[in-house]
Amino acid sequence: MLTIKQFASIPAGTDLTALYRARVGDYPKFFKMDTACKLGFLLAEELADEPRFTPREDRAVLMFSTHGCLCNDRHYEETVQDFPSPSLFVYTLPNIITGEIAIRNKYAGETSAYVLERFDPAVFAGLVEQAFQDVVTASALCGWVDCRADDDYTAFAFLVERDGDGKAFNTENIYGILDQ
Amino acid sequence: MKKVICMGESILSPLGETVTENFEAVLRGESALQLHAGTFGVKEPFVGSLMDRARWQVSGLSFFDSIVVEAARRAVEATGIDPASPRTAFVLSSIKGNIEHIGTQDVTLAASARKLVDAFGNPNPPVVVSNACISGLAALLQGRRMLLGGGLDHVVVVGAEVQSRFIVTGFQSLKALSEAPCKPFDAHRDGLNLGEAAAAVVLGFGEEGWELVDGAVRNDANHISGPSRTGEGSYKALRYVLRHIAPEELAFVNVHGTSTLYNDEMESIAIDRAGLIDVPVNALKGYFGHTMGAAGILESILSMRAVDAGIVLPTRGFTELGVSRPVKVSAEAGVTDRKAFVKLLSGFGGVNGALLFRKGGPTC
Amino acid sequence: MESLINEIKLKLIDALNLDGMTPEDIDNDAPLFGDEGLGLDSIDVLELIVLLERNYGIRLASPQEGKKVFQSVAVMADYVAANRTK
Repeated sequence: MLTIKQFASIPAGTDLTALYRARVGDYPKFFKMDTACKLGFLLAEELADEPRFTPREDRAVLMFSTHGCLCNDRHYEETVQDFPSPSLFVYTLPNIITGEIAIRNKYAGETSAYVLERFDPAVFAGLVEQAFQDVVTASALCGWVDCRADDDYTAFAFLVERDGDGKAFNTENIYGILDQ
Repeated sequence: MKKVICMGESILSPLGETVTENFEAVLRGESALQLHAGTFGVKEPFVGSLMDRARWQVSGLSFFDSIVVEAARRAVEATGIDPASPRTAFVLSSIKGNIEHIGTQDVTLAASARKLVDAFGNPNPPVVVSNACISGLAALLQGRRMLLGGGLDHVVVVGAEVQSRFIVTGFQSLKALSEAPCKPFDAHRDGLNLGEAAAAVVLGFGEEGWELVDGAVRNDANHISGPSRTGEGSYKALRYVLRHIAPEELAFVNVHGTSTLYNDEMESIAIDRAGLIDVPVNALKGYFGHTMGAAGILESILSMRAVDAGIVLPTRGFTELGVSRPVKVSAEAGVTDRKAFVKLLSGFGGVNGALLFRKGGPTC
Repeated sequence: MESLINEIKLKLIDALNLDGMTPEDIDNDAPLFGDEGLGLDSIDVLELIVLLERNYGIRLASPQEGKKVFQSVAVMADYVAANRTK
C-alpha cells in the first residue's frame, strides 16, 4: 500500500524569488527556470528528506498538469519571429520540471510528466500507484503543478512511499489534505 | 502475471499509410527527408520529413488532432475491439501537439486528448504522457501499467507529432539540426532532422503475438538538455529490462540514434555498459527524421515487423562508425532468427527509457 | 573599450538571468565557462550566440566557434569591436 510521507503546496500569488531566497539561496540555476519549473523545484525542496544530494534510483518524480508548459510556450513564441531564444525553448517541454527536480536532488529513478484534463484525485492516485509497478521505485515525489499564467497556478505535491507509517495515499486522504 | 500484448498497429507517415507500406518503404531504403525552404515561415531552410496535410485534414479538427484520431481508428479497426467500452482507455503521446496554433485555440494536450476520446465515444479520462523524446515509449509503458493495474481490457496508445515554426526554430536555436539527411552513429553526423508521423498500438491481454514484456524510465540527473557523458539513465533503463532476457536472445537494440554528436555517443556508452556490445544496433531516423512523440511507437512497430520478417533493418545514413564504443551498427539489412528486441530512447529533461518486446516465449 | 565591456556585462546578466549580479561582480578576464568564473553551460553558449547576433549583427556558425569568443568578457569585447556590423 502507498502511504503519504509529506505534503507541500505553494499558494498562487507567492513571491517565488523571496521563497527561494528564504529556503534555498545557493542554486542560481533557479533564475533560469520558467514558472512551472520554479514551482516544482520549490515543492521538491520542501519535500526533500535526508540525506540530501545522494544519488538514488528508488525515488520517482511524477508531475501532472493540464497546461503543461504553456505559460513558457507563450514566452518562447514571442521570440520566434526575430531571435528565437534557446534558453526559453528548452523549457517548452512539459517534463523539464521533472528533470530540474532530478538534477537538483540527484533522483536518478523514473521521471514522468502527464497531462490530464483536470485534477481528479482518483485518476492522480491511480496513475501514481501504477508507476510503482516499477520494482525499483520505493518512493515518489508526485505533484500537480498547473501553470496557467506566471501569476495564476495551482501547485502542490506529495511524497509517497511504499508501506510507510503515514496515511494511505487514496482519494479520501488526498481530499482531506487539500481541503485543509 | 498476465501478458500484455500488441493486438493491432497503425502508422501514418510521409512514407506510407499502413504499417506494411512503411515497412516496405524502409526496406527499399526510401526516406522522406528533404530540404524545406520557407516552410512554416521559417527563415533558414531545414531538412525534414513532412506529411501531406491535405491528405489527412479532417473537417473541424486541426491537422494534429486529425492524424491522432485517424491513427487510432486504424489500429482499433485492425483489432475489432470496442473503443467505446468502459473497459477500454486511451493514452496519447506527444510533445507539442497543436502548438502551431498557439494564441488562436486551446493548444493543450488535454484538449487534444478530449477530441481523441470523443471521436470514439470513450467514457474514460484520457491520459497524456509528455516525456520529451521518450514520450511514445513511456506511453506504451503507461498502457501496460494501466492494464496490469486492473479494470481494463484494452488500452489504445497513440503517438503523434506535427512540425511547426515553433519547433523548427527552437531546434535551430539549439544548433541541433543537420543541413543534410541525418547520419545516426556515423563519424560525420552533425545533427538531427525533424519529422511528422502518427502511430498507434492497441494493447490487451493474450498469450500469442508480441508481448510488451517490461520497460523502465530513468533520469540522468545531470543536465536538462545535454545527455549524460556516462550514459547513466540509459544504462539504468537497459539494466532494468535485461533482468528478463539474455543479450544472446536479442535480435537488435533499436536505438534513438538522433544523429547528434552527444546522443549517439551517450547511447553507445550505455549499450556497452549494459553488456550489449555484441548485439546488432539500428536506428530509423534516416527514414522518418525525429518524429518526437510518435517515435517510440512508430519505431517499436517497425521493429516488431522486422523481427517477424527475420530482418535487422539497415540504419540509413550510417557508413562509418563515429562513436567511442564498438557497437555493431547495422549498415545493411541483416538476418535474424531471434524473437526479441529492445527499444531505447532518450530525451530532454535527462530522461531515458527502454522497452523489451518478445514474440511468443514461455509464460512467466 | 571600457564602456563596451560594461555594456556586454549588463547584456550578459540580462540574457542569462544572472540574478543579483552587477558588472562589478564579473572579472574582465575570468573564464565564463567551466567551474571557475561564471560557470556557464551549453545553453548559455547558445544564448550568447543570439546575444551577439541581436545586438551586434555578428553571426557565429557554431557553438565551437562560440567557445573561443566567449572565453572571457574581455575577449568577447575585443571580438565585438572587431566584427560588429551594428
